[in-house]
Amino acid sequence: MKHSIKFNRTLLSAAIISLGVSFASVSQAGEFDGVTLKVATWGGSWKENIITKIAPKFEALGGTLEFVTGSPASNLAKLIAGRGKAPFDVMEVMDSQEQEFFVTNDFIQKIDYKNMSNVAHLQEGQYNDWRIASWHTQESICFNRDKFAELGIPTPTTYADLINPKLAGRVSIPDITSGGGMANFGGIAHAAGGDETNIKPGLDLIKQLNALKFWSRGGEVVTQFQSGDVYASIVHAGWCVRARNAGVNVATVHPVIGDKAVGVHKYGWLAIMKSSENVKAANWFLNEYNDADFQLEYARKSGVVPVNALALKALSSDPVSAEMLQLNPADIARQLRVDYSKVDKSVWMDQWNRSVSGQ
Amino acid sequence: MSHRKKVNMNTRWELVLLPSLIFVVVLIAGSQYVFLEGSFYKDLGLGRVGTDIDVSNYVRFFTDSFYLNTLWITVKTAALATFFTLILGFPVAYLIARMRSRWSMLLLAGIVVATFVTIVIKVFGLMIIFSADGLINKFLMGVGIVDTPYTIIGNQTGVVVGLMHYTLGFGVLLLYSVIQTIPRSFEEAAQIHGASRWRMHYRVLLPLSIPGITIGSLMIFNMSMGAFTSAALLGGGRVFTLPVLIQRTVMMEVKYSMAGTLSAVLLVTVLLINLLAIILIRRFRAARLVIA
Repeated sequence: MKHSIKFNRTLLSAAIISLGVSFASVSQAGEFDGVTLKVATWGGSWKENIITKIAPKFEALGGTLEFVTGSPASNLAKLIAGRGKAPFDVMEVMDSQEQEFFVTNDFIQKIDYKNMSNVAHLQEGQYNDWRIASWHTQESICFNRDKFAELGIPTPTTYADLINPKLAGRVSIPDITSGGGMANFGGIAHAAGGDETNIKPGLDLIKQLNALKFWSRGGEVVTQFQSGDVYASIVHAGWCVRARNAGVNVATVHPVIGDKAVGVHKYGWLAIMKSSENVKAANWFLNEYNDADFQLEYARKSGVVPVNALALKALSSDPVSAEMLQLNPADIARQLRVDYSKVDKSVWMDQWNRSVSGQ
Repeated sequence: MSHRKKVNMNTRWELVLLPSLIFVVVLIAGSQYVFLEGSFYKDLGLGRVGTDIDVSNYVRFFTDSFYLNTLWITVKTAALATFFTLILGFPVAYLIARMRSRWSMLLLAGIVVATFVTIVIKVFGLMIIFSADGLINKFLMGVGIVDTPYTIIGNQTGVVVGLMHYTLGFGVLLLYSVIQTIPRSFEEAAQIHGASRWRMHYRVLLPLSIPGITIGSLMIFNMSMGAFTSAALLGGGRVFTLPVLIQRTVMMEVKYSMAGTLSAVLLVTVLLINLLAIILIRRFRAARLVIA
């Protein structure tokens, strides 16, 4: 009988301990139990990288990641149409979409950096109360080395070097509505002697470039290189990396702009929507996005440049990235960033539309 | 008793039409009303719209050559696409309609399937076969017709080809159903009375097909006027039709009122052209009756 009681006590203790252990693991795993975090991002590899690297971690904590696929411009249109009631919690925001606009319209909320360990690896200016940088792109000239050699065209160093009869109708330029459209146009305007408030020199230079087309999605550029339609394209270096991976012998040039700048730099940002009810999960997501492993993997696959300093350093060991991107912080600092506070987007769009359509 | 039954039948048919009526009024007319109403306010920037009624967007549209040219390009590309779709589609539809073998059904099925392939895929297909290293340019350069590759990207020809690719299947199906309603015996009678094949087509088949061709043309034209994908992808950011401009105005400039104005102009233009076509056809038919 005594033995039986002792046995039962042991069994009971074991049961309590195992219950305690399972409860502890459940409470850890369930940090985001039942939470569905909606992220507004691009489709394709952008979304795929998040699905592969961040989604499993979030699911392990009990949550589910969902995506609202579209460009930042279309997501902003959804936000405006919904009068700030966003159908997503976190949104990718472009440099050209000014923070002030989001704040004054009460579209976004402040980020809580309390538990964001990865912020330690970001530089000043890459995060503030309202948004955190997620990557940057280096807008460049991507050109087909074989075709340039075949035609006897020297390696370009400026946008103007693409004005060549042998390249007539063989150059593609980003449309102003594309993700990098405004950054590249700003770069071209500066290179032609203009600036954010004087875009005519830029438009005149674009006319002289005699482009085949104004691309709206970077994927088009890879296809154009593969099909032989274009020999050079103004595009962010990541797409040039992808064209190389697709088997085209391409290289990048970071164009000289005026006396000081070499290349054009564009940030991607993340912001949390004011209407989000999943604030804790949204902050967790922002931190994970800036994790060194994720940033490195993301950079290798999509050709963007990490903002996490550890990932940026590690990327230098990737031969293709090291060749096509400027990974030295001093070089990055020399790249031009368009000052969007001086840009009247309506005027840019209107003048662009009239100029490229020949009207 | 039988009279009462007849009345009940009529009532039921009216009820069957009710859901479609509600759908059309609420979803289609309702959304158009939102655009039309929105077009009468002023854009204040960053998606904000004024509260006072204002016609400045319309004034801008009708006094600015850029917008008027865009309207002209939209109508011109749609009209060209309609014309060439009819030219290409009519013989195909005629052939299938008059075929006696089982191939006709197979061909029709093929056209139906091709019609429902999404336009994005169709346009990318065109871009591939017309690329510098593509099938068509290789052939044209191989036989010495062109020295340098011909491109359909970034010009109006490309947009017209894209619109034709989009509407050709619909066109053939519409024309097929029209030709099928014309008894084969009419053609045989004309030929028995000595009409050549060309004369039979010109004097018998074409006049009898005109009402169907008109409706078919208007449908193809209307589809082309509102088509966005072909114009956006093949236009290469250089050919601006009204749908392309509307998208840019909404997505990039977030000027909802101006986009509403552009939409209203597009809608009214399409309605007016349709109305004009119907009036002209009625007059044409009346004139023919008087002559007869």
